[in-house]
Amino acid sequence: MPIISLRCRESITGWLFVSPTLAGFLIFFFGPLIAVFGYSATEWNLLTQETSFVGFENYTDALTENQDFWLVFRNSLVFAAGLVPLNMVMALSLAMALSRPFAGQVLFRTIFFAPVITAAVAWAIVWKFLLQGETGTVNQMLAIVGIDGPNWLREPNWAMVAVIVTRVLKTVGLNMILYIAALQSIPRDYTEAALLEGASRWQIFGRIIWPLLTPTTLVIMIVTVVGSLKVFDHIYLMTGGGPENGTMVLAFFIYEQGFEFFNVGYASALAVIMFFLIVALTGLQLRLKGGLQ
Amino acid sequence: MISSRIQTVSWYLMLAIASVPFVFPLLWMLSAAFKGPAEIFATPPTLIPDTMRWSNFLEVFSYQPFARQYVNSLYIAALVSGLTLLFASLAGYALARIRFAGSALLLLLLISALMMPEEVTIIPNFFLMRELGLMNTHAPLVLLPVFGSQGVLATFLMRQYFMALPKELEEAAYLDGLSRFGVWWKIALPLSRPALAAVGIITFLNSWNLFLEPLVFISDVRLFTLPLALANFTDAYGLPLWHLQLAATSLAVIPTLIVYIAAQRQIIESFALSGVKG
Amino acid sequence: MIKQIVLATALTAFSISMAFAQDLRMTVWTGSDAHLGMLNDIAEEFESTHPGVTVNFETIPFSDYVRGLTLQLAGGNPPDLGWLLESSAPIFVDAGVLLDVSDKLRNDAAYNFSDLSQSAMTLWQSSDAIYGIPFSTSPYLTYYNASMFSSAGIATPNQMVKEGSWTWEALRIAAKKLSDPANGVYGFQSPDGLGYDSRIMHTLIPIVRSYGGEAWVNGKCGFDSPEAIQAITLYHQMIFDDKSTVPPGEQANFFTGGAAMTINQISRVSNLDEANFEWGLAPLPSGPSGESPTIGQAAIVAFARGQNTELAAEFLKYMTDTKNSATMAQFFPTARKSVLEGDAFLNSNSAFSAEQIQIVADAISKGGVLPSHPAYPQIEAAMRPRFDALWQADAVIPSVMASVCRAIQPLL
Repeated sequence: MPIISLRCRESITGWLFVSPTLAGFLIFFFGPLIAVFGYSATEWNLLTQETSFVGFENYTDALTENQDFWLVFRNSLVFAAGLVPLNMVMALSLAMALSRPFAGQVLFRTIFFAPVITAAVAWAIVWKFLLQGETGTVNQMLAIVGIDGPNWLREPNWAMVAVIVTRVLKTVGLNMILYIAALQSIPRDYTEAALLEGASRWQIFGRIIWPLLTPTTLVIMIVTVVGSLKVFDHIYLMTGGGPENGTMVLAFFIYEQGFEFFNVGYASALAVIMFFLIVALTGLQLRLKGGLQ
Repeated sequence: MISSRIQTVSWYLMLAIASVPFVFPLLWMLSAAFKGPAEIFATPPTLIPDTMRWSNFLEVFSYQPFARQYVNSLYIAALVSGLTLLFASLAGYALARIRFAGSALLLLLLISALMMPEEVTIIPNFFLMRELGLMNTHAPLVLLPVFGSQGVLATFLMRQYFMALPKELEEAAYLDGLSRFGVWWKIALPLSRPALAAVGIITFLNSWNLFLEPLVFISDVRLFTLPLALANFTDAYGLPLWHLQLAATSLAVIPTLIVYIAAQRQIIESFALSGVKG
Repeated sequence: MIKQIVLATALTAFSISMAFAQDLRMTVWTGSDAHLGMLNDIAEEFESTHPGVTVNFETIPFSDYVRGLTLQLAGGNPPDLGWLLESSAPIFVDAGVLLDVSDKLRNDAAYNFSDLSQSAMTLWQSSDAIYGIPFSTSPYLTYYNASMFSSAGIATPNQMVKEGSWTWEALRIAAKKLSDPANGVYGFQSPDGLGYDSRIMHTLIPIVRSYGGEAWVNGKCGFDSPEAIQAITLYHQMIFDDKSTVPPGEQANFFTGGAAMTINQISRVSNLDEANFEWGLAPLPSGPSGESPTIGQAAIVAFARGQNTELAAEFLKYMTDTKNSATMAQFFPTARKSVLEGDAFLNSNSAFSAEQIQIVADAISKGGVLPSHPAYPQIEAAMRPRFDALWQADAVIPSVMASVCRAIQPLL
């Protein structure tokens, strides 16, 4: 039975190849993921280490009683809804501008990509510094052209705008590069033929380029949406979730509940909610992908 | 002609204006790194410092063990990248090339982690690390990225790349008597340099940027990584010491920028080639 | 057999050397060289009488202190000792993480436990157990930039104290006269400039109390009382109408000449070492309901899960004995009556005159400690986002304070 033994050997080799990844994955990801569901049914104080089973109480508390939860949930969605389109539109525009060679192309690519390489903490620290109230550099610049800038990080809505925009500036370069790669893989003949037939630039973009970019767009979208939901350091350093919880997002809320207020059970319930939110959003986008293709 | 020149000029003008928010913070950081606490807040602001305070940079190293923290970050990021590349290319290769019982199920299992932020599992991992006695060590900063969603993402990227490679070369080598392991090491890995480079860079940057894990797991200032160290330039009451903080961020950012500028063509190409685009 | 003996000897020698080499780790929130120098001097003396023992002080910044400490405790990596603020006392005592040091302290006549003021011990005792010894019972005082007052030609806080006119209204008027925001100079700065973040209570409670209000009394929120609203309105007007107080998001530091007045504790005097101006120290202003000195309290505690509890208790006792209390009093006024009443205290810090120290001593004897509560972290978390709404020019103060009370009432 040489075939079976070959198959058997293949299986053993296969499992050997994946075993380090699998073992680590089970211990440091899958186990904890199962555990967090268990934790979420307890009331567990990090400081006293006292635990008691409370069933779904953490969930009902979050969903119906805690007035902050829905604000935080809304903030997470607002943050994603602001960041994702802005990031993608900017990434695509920059990619369109920088995909064809011209003098200075490399320089500008380098410039737009530089924040991606910059440490996230450094980026947040510098922007926090620039966005201070009246003495902040941004507002001093605005004052020169006669604009009285707001106290960016101290007014809830402006703070949200500020963290979104600075986060986009930090990450847009990566998506730009992915778009440039996709644009360069579009054969020139397509667009040149259309030009010869008298199509306008907008028509070429709408009818030829954009459809060909769809797979790239969807991948970028999924990654950017999830990336926006897990943002922690940026907000922790720039606003600390404030003012008035105006920039408090789910990832931060989990951290705060668990490690600052010692509510392990409640924080775990929030983590489970976040798990389902991510599953739902990713599933939704994958269905969108299926529908488009 | 004139209209085309105007077009060119306005084209560059537009790009220049668009670059301001990308470049200005870095320039400003560098300039402020040389200023004293008073000049940083001077009105009107100055881009070129009145006097270059090189002492800021010395103070950075005396305020906390910054050199050691720098080394911590470097070695952790290198270790994470190395381990991730090793494990992810092994598993990615198996998932792409080897038909083995349970591989479909395994793939599904791994997908569950693909997009999961570390915040979801950080609490159980906190207790896990405590039980393992790894609290206040660098182990969590290595283990969690290598085996968490980032490691899984790397596995998937490697799998995608191996799938797209032509099979013929490997089959020939296989017939020549190379083992699976030999094929992986001698044929598949050399062919996937762009993907390895891209995954390596992404992994390195992610580890370099890691903030939540060090914040939760590390309390000893000598074990801090750069992100924590940068956030730690505060006076005793938690107010930022801006001149030190900005000098330190400059020290953290400038070397990576230089490496990037030196290698930017390769970096961007490896991203483009690697099929990170999916 | 020989082998076993050698092994046993080696093991014994090893365990003896282990017993001698003991590290004590103590978390503190000060990073000031002057404070750490003083602490290290005390530690060195302790080390010289306890061979093999080393004491390390670990600074966790004030605004991260409770989180950092809790993570260490919960993570199975507890420090041996630490500083703890009055606001954290009930929750840490209730959680059972603090070491009961009563035997150690009560059984040593030389320690003279009864010398500690009983009112200062309230938060740190439960029945017979003693969970901490306050090393700092430090009143909030007014620091002022005397140079600014004299060049503007207005009466200094201390002159007003003599005339009996040193009120919050008077402080407001002086702050307005002295402030020049265009040049980065303000009339008033909140404690350490953190009055909008981690030190809201330290900023507002002194004002609120002098107007007859209180944060909470017997489980009822007091921030929405007319007295509290009146007091907070005054402070709000200083920020947004007079523009005389360092506003949120701005940096201006009293200790580098960026503000004419601030309120803070005497430990901050070390920030004035390099000051290029004359400064003075006055009591807190009084309000409609008279003087109400406010005290921030901090204690040294030992942690029950530490590895060297016996030694930790020993060091706690050492640090808070009469001699070292007197040493620490230059920055951190003690709760020991004998020290406070002695002449040594009046001359403990050369940066202060005896008169200034007398102000401190008076405030300690009359003052009330800042609010605390077993659910303080949750209360603070619930309060802070609501207080953020206060720091807007057009904030409607009564409704903001009502929302603060709505948020914290269930926790009280």
